[in-house]
Amino acid sequence: MVNSKAEALGIIFPNSYDSLVPELVTERLMASIPFAGRYRMCDFLISSMVHCGIDNISLIVRKNYHSLMDHLGSGREWDLTRKKGGLNIVPPFAQKSVKVYEGRIEALESIKNFLKRQNEKYVVMCDANIAVNFDFNALINAHMESGADVTIVYREQEIPEVFKRPNGTVSDLYYSFDVCDGRIKKVYINSKQSGTINFGMNIFVLEREKLIQLVEEAYMHGLSYFTRDILCPQVDTLNIQGYKYDGYVAHIHDMKSYFEENMKLLKEENLQALFEGNQIYTKIRDDNPTRYINGSNAKNVLIADGCVIEGEVENSILFRGVHVGKGAKVKNCVLMQDTVIEANASVEYVITDKNVKVSEGKSLTGNDSFQVYVAKNQTV
Amino acid sequence: MAKELVAMLLAGGQGSRLYALTQKLAKPAVPFGGKYRIIDFPLSNCVNSGIDTVGILTQYQPLVLNEYIGNGQPWDLDRLYGGVHVLPPYQKASGSDWYKGTANAIYQNISFIERYDPEYVIILSGDQICKQDYSDFLKFHKEKGAEFSVAVMEVPWDEASRFGLMVTDETDRITEFQEKPKEPKSNLASMGIYIFNWDILKKYLIEDEADPNSENDFGNNIIPNLLRDNRKMYAYRFSGYWKDVGTISSLWEANMEVLDPEHSGINLFDEDWKIYSRNSGMTGHFVGENALVENSMITDGCKINGTVKHSILFSGVVVEEGALVEDAVIMGKTVIKSGAVVKHCIVAEKAEIGENAVVGETPADGGVGEVATIASHVKIGANAKIGPNAMVYEDVKEGEEQW
Repeated sequence: MVNSKAEALGIIFPNSYDSLVPELVTERLMASIPFAGRYRMCDFLISSMVHCGIDNISLIVRKNYHSLMDHLGSGREWDLTRKKGGLNIVPPFAQKSVKVYEGRIEALESIKNFLKRQNEKYVVMCDANIAVNFDFNALINAHMESGADVTIVYREQEIPEVFKRPNGTVSDLYYSFDVCDGRIKKVYINSKQSGTINFGMNIFVLEREKLIQLVEEAYMHGLSYFTRDILCPQVDTLNIQGYKYDGYVAHIHDMKSYFEENMKLLKEENLQALFEGNQIYTKIRDDNPTRYINGSNAKNVLIADGCVIEGEVENSILFRGVHVGKGAKVKNCVLMQDTVIEANASVEYVITDKNVKVSEGKSLTGNDSFQVYVAKNQTV
Repeated sequence: MAKELVAMLLAGGQGSRLYALTQKLAKPAVPFGGKYRIIDFPLSNCVNSGIDTVGILTQYQPLVLNEYIGNGQPWDLDRLYGGVHVLPPYQKASGSDWYKGTANAIYQNISFIERYDPEYVIILSGDQICKQDYSDFLKFHKEKGAEFSVAVMEVPWDEASRFGLMVTDETDRITEFQEKPKEPKSNLASMGIYIFNWDILKKYLIEDEADPNSENDFGNNIIPNLLRDNRKMYAYRFSGYWKDVGTISSLWEANMEVLDPEHSGINLFDEDWKIYSRNSGMTGHFVGENALVENSMITDGCKINGTVKHSILFSGVVVEEGALVEDAVIMGKTVIKSGAVVKHCIVAEKAEIGENAVVGETPADGGVGEVATIASHVKIGANAKIGPNAMVYEDVKEGEEQW
């Protein structure tokens, strides 16, 4: 392929870690959670792939994917309306016994025939619970140079608190690694170790044919999870390389981190770190610019287009089309698309989902460790 | 399959009275209202009115305009049949010509229009800020059984002599056309928007082209000829917001009116009549801890750490701490350095206003007055002073003054 910079196709698992943010995924999935004022979570990795010349991207969805389909459409905004490749949303295929896939192995098995027909040499796979401006070319180059069978991206960080709660109900798996000279020697599943560890980001690269072979074998043995059931047992026989990433990552693993990762973008250096690389594409809404009306007061805020600000806004993230009425006060909030805070209402430490209305004069207050969440289309 | 109505948008004008703003781009490509360009208005009007075939006639500095229009997708004008087409003059077997006038531009594209075999053609102008439903205009044209209709605005009588005026009878039929007359007989000013029956338009374009003395202009030639022949000509009254932004002061004023939709009548927040544009793709705008933003429009990618009052900022504008921007139109990616004072002016794209520099001045009488203008990519050095009359095309060095 002459035009492609990368010889890879992309696979994204948009439902991964849905269970960590049940509030946000009642009517959507992880990949379509609004983030950073005008984006959805999947925009970051899809845009990163596109900028690295990966223009054959499949999203294997499991459930609640209407919002994702609405967001991505034909993929035009990501430059993915291609005759060859482009954007490919793969819904579950109804079979005699309809069973939605459990782990990556079953998901990949469901597109095995598709994978066999493709021409790209490599496959990059990732989840959508991280917002990152990622250089896939650097990863693929490292993978090629090391001659590894599989390369996994990790980050030096602590295990997020939510995973370490003693009586936690976390059903999702997460991984950490022992890395020695770049090679992963041991894979830990749901470790509760404290301190900085090599935390897996669930970004993988491997040869397409290798992937098909691994998935075929594993599926025949009734296995589900790619890391747990394929990589973990074969850590000695497969050459699994670790690729350390130390760029900016926003990682969503519960409501609190959702709030904090949004808020972190109010620091200029963080906003820059996430956006200064390649442009992050998203769906276009054709909103007009945001209008500040006399009497408004805005301090330390990140605001998307289409908002009307008549009241006070401080330390907050406003998505597209938010209206803050006269005399209203918004402090330390994340207000998603088309939220209306009516006149003289006051909200503090609140996350409002799409189309929420806080009626005139009403007030709603959370605190820095627990934010009040108002579900989609609700009126307070 | 024939199209009922094809739009032809005149976008070739230089816009010489916009001076510094149209050095490198055609007037219709001049940015407006925070995230639009002037041409977004007629194009959005077309698509909102159900017109899906638009020819854009370009001639002067078309690069920016061509790239901006692209395949027409932002306006939903990427169609299998029809859609938007940029039409520059081209070479023919019989030779080649620049567009000699507005009528000649359409004449040279008769074959484009014929491809769609339309019943009607609407001629639009690419230098007006206006939200107008062309389908209502067409309905009027059909109801009157007209061969030619022109959209007109009622203007105050004392200003009427500045316009091309349509004198009408009680049925709105046009009986006389007065071009900027000393003694106006009507206060119905032509907006330069016409609907023709295609067979009539074609006949008159061919006749006009054959006349060596013609200026090949709609206002000066085609309309008088239609009148001479007693054609069925009607004036369609339009009463919404309309502004010709052909001068620096009218462009500035129209931008300021966007800030006051309740009184000025130009509302960009109309969900039922959206104005579409090509998107900057930048992240949301950021307003810092010590910033002050009052009565302004701010769009994606802006970083505000200074004071912004009653102004319009386009995408990616940076206002550093301690800078003051007031009554100003600041176009995309311009940087206002700390301590700079920028008032009552238009600053074009990617300019830089140095530290503590002063640009423009609020007129003492509070009117429109003089609007300082700075061309794109110009750097104004630190402590420089740019007077209210200035039209700045080139970099101004540190500490220098320009009036």
